[in-house]
Amino acid sequence: MRALVIDDSRAMRRIVGGILAGFGFEVEQAGDGQQALDAMHAGFVPDLACIDWNMPVMDGLQYVSAVRSNPAWRSVTLMMVTTESEHGQIVRALAAGAHEYLIKPFTADAIGDKLSLLGLLPTEVTA
Amino acid sequence: MTAPPITELIDAGTVQGIADEVWVAMLGEDEFLVPLPAELPTETVSAWVSVSGPWNGAVVLTCAPATAEELTRFVLQAHPPELLENGDVTDAFGELANVLGGNVKSLLPGPSKLGLPEVGTTPSAGSPVDTCRVDAVWRGHPLSITVQGAAAPVHPERNEVPL
Repeated sequence: MRALVIDDSRAMRRIVGGILAGFGFEVEQAGDGQQALDAMHAGFVPDLACIDWNMPVMDGLQYVSAVRSNPAWRSVTLMMVTTESEHGQIVRALAAGAHEYLIKPFTADAIGDKLSLLGLLPTEVTA
Repeated sequence: MTAPPITELIDAGTVQGIADEVWVAMLGEDEFLVPLPAELPTETVSAWVSVSGPWNGAVVLTCAPATAEELTRFVLQAHPPELLENGDVTDAFGELANVLGGNVKSLLPGPSKLGLPEVGTTPSAGSPVDTCRVDAVWRGHPLSITVQGAAAPVHPERNEVPL
């Protein structure tokens, strides 16, 4: 399975990407929503996108809306991974089309739990 | 609507609790902040995120530059770059402030907006009444976390000579 980690922090991309690689994902990274869309237009359509909210150029909510507006990307599972934890923000993200929401800080186990809920955790692979 | 000063919204114990959680999750499960007042060195670097909403200000993490490098090594320890560059320090140190700030913001009156992380010299604070500060020591390194109200805006028009 393929994952796209979208975060303006290189450190956070490394951390999330490393955890997902441990779960067996092939991981690509993008520094903002527009870079992520460019990667998808170029052919890297992931099974899972992990998306930060606050990013320059194109934020996570705009990215989610853009992905959901393209029927060809209907199969992409979208998980917000962000410090935005206000109830209203979570509702906005889910209403825009995000499937899951993980608040930073998180542990590898927390990501594993979310992947399990989403049916994206290979049963024979552990982080 | 304007919120009351930060000291009426959040206390040092709550900020310390948030920092403890961030430290364990981002630096490692054996990493703890000890809440001890320790003097910061003369040369410091800060990472912060602004909060805009009913309460306006910033969440600021301040320590010695060498401590910021050490924090970066711990943040990246499981997935380190081949060579630690200055950009890595700015990025990881800023992300620590971002996660601290996001969790502090969740306890403030909303809706509020979080700015992107910045790293540099400590930003000016507003009134001491509108500042909540935690001093702590991590692995012998002193650092501080402040939730500080925005400095009063400058109004140059008030200095104009009336016609």
